[in-house]
Formats: sequence, C-alpha cells, structure tokens
Amino acid sequence: MTTPSTTERQDSAALGRAVPPVGGRTSKPPRRRRLDTRGRPLWMLLPGGILMALVIVIPLVLGVVIALLDLDQYTLRSWLSAPFVGLGNFVEALTQSSLLRSIGISASFALIVTAITLPIGVVAAIATQNAFRGRAVVRSIFLIPYVLPAFVVATVWRTILQPSGIANHALSVFGIDGGLWLNGPKSYWALVFVAIWSSWPFIYLLALSGLQSVETEVHEAAAIDGALWWAKLRYVIFPYLKGPISLAIIIAILHNINNFTLPFVLFGVPTPDAVQVMPVLTYIASFQSFRFGLSAAMAICSLVIVAIPLFVYLRAVRLDSGDEKVVTETEAAR
Amino acid sequence: MKTRTLSAAAAGLAAVALVLTGCSASGGSSTDSSGNVDGSGKTLNVLTGVDTLYPTQQKQWQKDQAAAFKKSTGATLKFDTYASANEELTKIQTSVVSGQGPDVYSIGTTFTPTAYSTKAFVKLSDKEWKEVGGRDRFVPASLGISGPSKSDEIGVPFASRPFVMAYNKDLLKAAGISKPATSWDEFAEQAKKLTSNGTYGIATGYADGFDVWKFVWAMANQAGNPIVDGKKATIDTATMKAAYKAYYGWVTSDGVVDPSAVGWNNAQALAAFAAGKAAYFPMTTATSKNTLDKSSVKGKYAYALMPTVPPGETSRPSDGKDAASILSGDNLVVANYSKNQDLAFAYIKQVTAQKEQEDFYTTFGQLPTNAAAAAALEKDDASLQPIVAAANKSVSTPFSGAWGDVQLALTDVTVQSIPSLKSGSISSSEIDKRLATAQKAAESALSRAK
Repeated sequence: MTTPSTTERQDSAALGRAVPPVGGRTSKPPRRRRLDTRGRPLWMLLPGGILMALVIVIPLVLGVVIALLDLDQYTLRSWLSAPFVGLGNFVEALTQSSLLRSIGISASFALIVTAITLPIGVVAAIATQNAFRGRAVVRSIFLIPYVLPAFVVATVWRTILQPSGIANHALSVFGIDGGLWLNGPKSYWALVFVAIWSSWPFIYLLALSGLQSVETEVHEAAAIDGALWWAKLRYVIFPYLKGPISLAIIIAILHNINNFTLPFVLFGVPTPDAVQVMPVLTYIASFQSFRFGLSAAMAICSLVIVAIPLFVYLRAVRLDSGDEKVVTETEAAR
Repeated sequence: MKTRTLSAAAAGLAAVALVLTGCSASGGSSTDSSGNVDGSGKTLNVLTGVDTLYPTQQKQWQKDQAAAFKKSTGATLKFDTYASANEELTKIQTSVVSGQGPDVYSIGTTFTPTAYSTKAFVKLSDKEWKEVGGRDRFVPASLGISGPSKSDEIGVPFASRPFVMAYNKDLLKAAGISKPATSWDEFAEQAKKLTSNGTYGIATGYADGFDVWKFVWAMANQAGNPIVDGKKATIDTATMKAAYKAYYGWVTSDGVVDPSAVGWNNAQALAAFAAGKAAYFPMTTATSKNTLDKSSVKGKYAYALMPTVPPGETSRPSDGKDAASILSGDNLVVANYSKNQDLAFAYIKQVTAQKEQEDFYTTFGQLPTNAAAAAALEKDDASLQPIVAAANKSVSTPFSGAWGDVQLALTDVTVQSIPSLKSGSISSSEIDKRLATAQKAAESALSRAK
C-alpha cells in the first residue's frame, strides 16, 4: 500500500493541512529558516488586528462590563451609569434562572445532531465521490437543505408539524397518531430532526472536500495492493478525512449549540420548556424582559461552559496548534 | 457566538451613538405666534408598524400625509416601518441607547408602559396637548394607557382596535340561539349547542403568542382581579384559576373547540371561522372584516361584545370591571432627543384631525381616537355599534414597566399546558403549579419596577 511521502505530507500540511500523513513513520519536520525579525512586515497585521478588536475584543469587553451592571429598561437610556452589581447577574443566572437546564438542552441537542449528521454526511460524500450518471444533480439536491435560510426551513417545518399538518396526516395513513410535535416532550426530537435535515449537508461538504484531496495515485496503489473496499475505506480514505471531519464536528457542535433561528421560529416565544435552548433563553432575557445585564451574564456563563470542552477537544485533535495529530503506522494498522 | 452577537450589538450601539452624537448638530424647527410650525429644510422621521393587510394603501397614505405635511410646515416627512414586535423593540432600544433615531414612534398600547419606563419620550404637558389640538380632542377611554396618570402621560392615542367576537348568524339561528352570550358560562353552553357534524362552537388559537393572555385577563378583571395591583401580582388566585379553567375547558371537557386548535394561532382560528367551521370567533378586531367579507361567511356574520360576566357567575361581582376588551390600539410618542419636537407634535395634530381619522378608518378599518370622528362614525354606521361599544368598555392593562414580563408569564402558562390540552384534560394541580410559576415571575419583574 502506498502512502504519501514525508515531503508530500509536509507540502500538503503547508497548503492547508488537507492531507494527513498516513501510515508513515512520525518524523520531525525540518526546521525552517527563521525570517529576519527586522524584515517582518508586521504592519500587515494591522487591518486584521483592528477588525478583530472592533468585532471581537471590544464587544467581548463590553459584554463583560454589561454583565456587571443592572442594565434594564429603566437604566438603558444612560447605560454607562447603570448600577454596578458585581457578580449579582452571574449568581442570578446560575441559581435563579433556567440557564443550566438550557445549556444542558443545547449541549445534548448539539451532540445528538452532530453524532447523527456525521455518518449521514460521510456516507453521502462517499456515495457521490465516484462519477456516475446524474451525480451533479444528486450533489445539487443534497445541498438544498443547506442553502435554504434557517428561517425558511423553520417556517416550512412549523407548518408541516402542526397538529393537523402534513406530518400527522402522513402518519395517520399508517394508523399512527402523531400528536404534538411543536410542544411537549416530542418537541425536542422535532427540533433534533429538523436540525439534522437542515445541517447534514455541511458535514457532507467537508467530507467531500476531504475525499477530493485523496490523490488518484493513492486509489491506484490501493487497487494494485488488492485492498478490498472496506480495507481501502478504513486504512486509506478515512485517515484523509480525519482533519476535515474534526473541523466539521467542532463547527457543527458550535453551530448547533448557538442555533437560535430554528428553535425561535419553530416554537416561538414563550418557548415550550423542552426546547428552551440557551440562545432563546438569552434572547428572552434581553429582548422580552429587557434584562440586558442578566442576559450578558448568561451569555458569558454559556461561553465559559462551552469553551472548556471545546478547548479540550481542540487540544486533542490539535486543530488549535496547526499540527494535526500524526497517525502512526501502529495506529493506522489498528 | 451568542455572546459575541450580543456584545457586538452593544458595541455597535455605542459606536453609533458616538458617531451620531457628533453628527447631530442640526437645529430645530420654529413656531410662529399663530402656532404654525416652520419646518423648512427639516426632516421629520416617523417609525410605524407595517400594515400587512393593506400594504399598498399604507404607502399611499404615507405619501399623502407627507405631501400635506410639506404643505403645512415646509418639512419633509419620512416614514420607516417595522415588520414585527421584535423589530419594533430593537429599533426603540437602539434609539434609546444612542439618543438618535426617529422623532415620532407609533407604538402598541400594551408596549406604552415599557416605553414610558425608559424615560426616553416627551412627557405631555398642557403645552404639548395644546400643540396636538387639546386633550379633549380624544375619546376619553382611548387615553387610558397614555401614562400612569392624567398629569403624567407620554402617548397620544392614534388608532383604536378594540377586541370583540364575530359570530355566525346562520349557525346561531339554526341552533335556536336568539342572541350572543353575555356571560362566559352562557358562552360555553351555547357553544355546546353549536358543536355538531364537524362544526365547532368556538374558533380560537391556543398557540397564539398574543391572544391567550387576553382571555384570562378579561375574565379575571370581570371578577375584580386586576392581576397587577401596584407592586403586587395576583396570579395564583381563585379568579385566575377559574379563568384558565374556563378557557381550557372549551377544548378539554366541553369539546367545543377543534382539538387541532391547540396548535393554532389567531389567523388559523380566523380561517376556520371564515370557512364556516365555527360559530363564534372571540378575540378579534374590526380588521378581520377584510378577510371575512371575502370568505364563505360574507353577509352571515356579525360582531358582538365579548361576555363581561366572569366564569362561574351569572352577574358581574360588585368589584368586577365591565372589561369587554383590553385598551388596544396605537399611541404616538415623541422622542425626547428629537430636535424637531414642534414638528413632531404638528404631525400628530395632522393625523389625529377628524377628517384624517375618518379616512384612516375607511382605509384601514381602525377606529378613530378623535372624539368627533368616532361619534360621526357611530352615527353613520350602525353595524359598528358593538365595536364602538367595546372601545368604550375597554380597560387598560396595568401601567407598569413590568407588564411585559407579566404578560409573558400569563402566556407561558398556556404554552406549557398545551400537551395536557391536547390530551383532553388538564388537572387542577397542574394549573396551580403553572400559576405559581407565573406568580413568581411576575413578582420578580414587579420587584424591579421603578
């Protein structure tokens, strides 16, 4: 079985890390020649740095400041002089609101949706990797749920899942009483289902990009070595997908945890308890109850709680350092 | 990401505030001795809700108002619209923080207490009332939610949309019912007689985000429970429980509402009534006339006052209010950061004049708040009698900055009860539990009210 050479792997890594080293022995990359520090065009970082400060740093700092204030409709007009309440909003968010429950709902929802969309997306990508008649049409159809705006998706599914909607009519043909989908315990699964329907093409797209980075020679070499489909998939193709799939998992989880439009449009406000996800709870605190300080505290608590496992995962897959975990021969052969 | 979005919004608001504060150097308008405002070279910005029923007519109305305003003041009138309550809130919040934005806002009556609590709008003294043509220019009932007291008001009533019920005359006649119910118990009894062969006594939407609290609010007020009394909430009380039980009973024990209605909003209930599938359609306004006159019930329906005797009673208790509807409609408020306040009040004077108000009703079906226009209309069109009566019997929701949260808590009781309603029964203890949760939320909001 032929695997990419060390040089090829380094080149590929430099070009966006699409091709992980497979089956090769781990070796330290040659040390690059350091640039003369005096010649570094650091000023080129300025536009990006200013943008980062404006879009991320300043708002984040303001968010923290707001979280320490009793900012509501009564103090909104002169918000900088709103009473300072220290950690009062954080205490209220964690002890008197349903924040922890909402974070739990959001996290479980995100994990379930990602876990289900992952195999669907990968299988769809593999199925459409080889050319066949009508492949372009199939690929285009696969992308439809993803290109539709979330608002449209939610509105359509809200109509379908009404008590007397199409879904229940279809189920009644088989003698099944669908019951309530947009309220009660089943609303959680309705949200999961609609999120899966609309988001699996994202995994599919990234898996497809990973598959397309596999050189023809690799396929040929696998064929010459007599690898059967499963062995080829397991030992040749999947290692190439590790990078894109890791990225897809992290983005999909973050996207699902922060999904606001889907639950907001599907269920409205007030939201049934079973689907009061974290972004909707924060929205209600901000824009229904005008508790801007409390909602900022909720958002920061959520950020911290979500950031911890995220950091652990990033370290584990080494997406943060730019060095993807090298698959050793032993690991590849396992 | 959410943190980032919220934080970005806050920073954006702050940045916009700084930039716009620097740019806001334009001078105000001037008023001559005869009260005419000279706004030459000035622009007055008005924010109003988009009319989804009459979008073309709304644009034409705005164009006509702008032309008339230019003629009388020399100023340019510009309209900006919001499509939803959320957009309305966002625009108001942005303007309040930045001190910049529209000069005049057209806001819903139940939102007026919240707007008042931001202290961002002009309090109406004798001077301002004089500028808009005098306080006695308006229907007294329509002034009920202009401010916490007569001497402390911010809202000038612009349009009135009292809630009534529509009923199918043919179905009532076929069931041997001579006149619409006047008590909620009679209403439920009539509905039972009217329910047969796929036709239901009542069409209502239990999943509507706006209607559900209005039923229990009306029933509780009729029983003498104002729900909010100063800083005290009275949600976990017998009268509120009776109200929710009666409202839920229609779809559970009475079976007079289509079981699918647990997932309906107001528009879906209206569609069921318009299709002749229900005899009563409570909690609607005159704006439903447009839909009904194009439906199969055209000529077969009429409006009536909703019952004003609370559930379980044959007559209203002595401390009960004759609350036929919440005080519903639009108020106009002027931002106190506006440099064009004279022009703003001139605009309000223009659109609340008798003729303009009559034209507004003819075009949009919304009742005048101008007393002379309302009287003329009632005299000319007898079919409007129940709607005008509902306007006169409207009771304002509590004028508290916490009302938004109370309203949300009352709606949440029904939202969380939907699975039980769908199953066909809801226990007394479940209602108690939900009322206790709502009471707690309301108390928390009221304790923060300033």
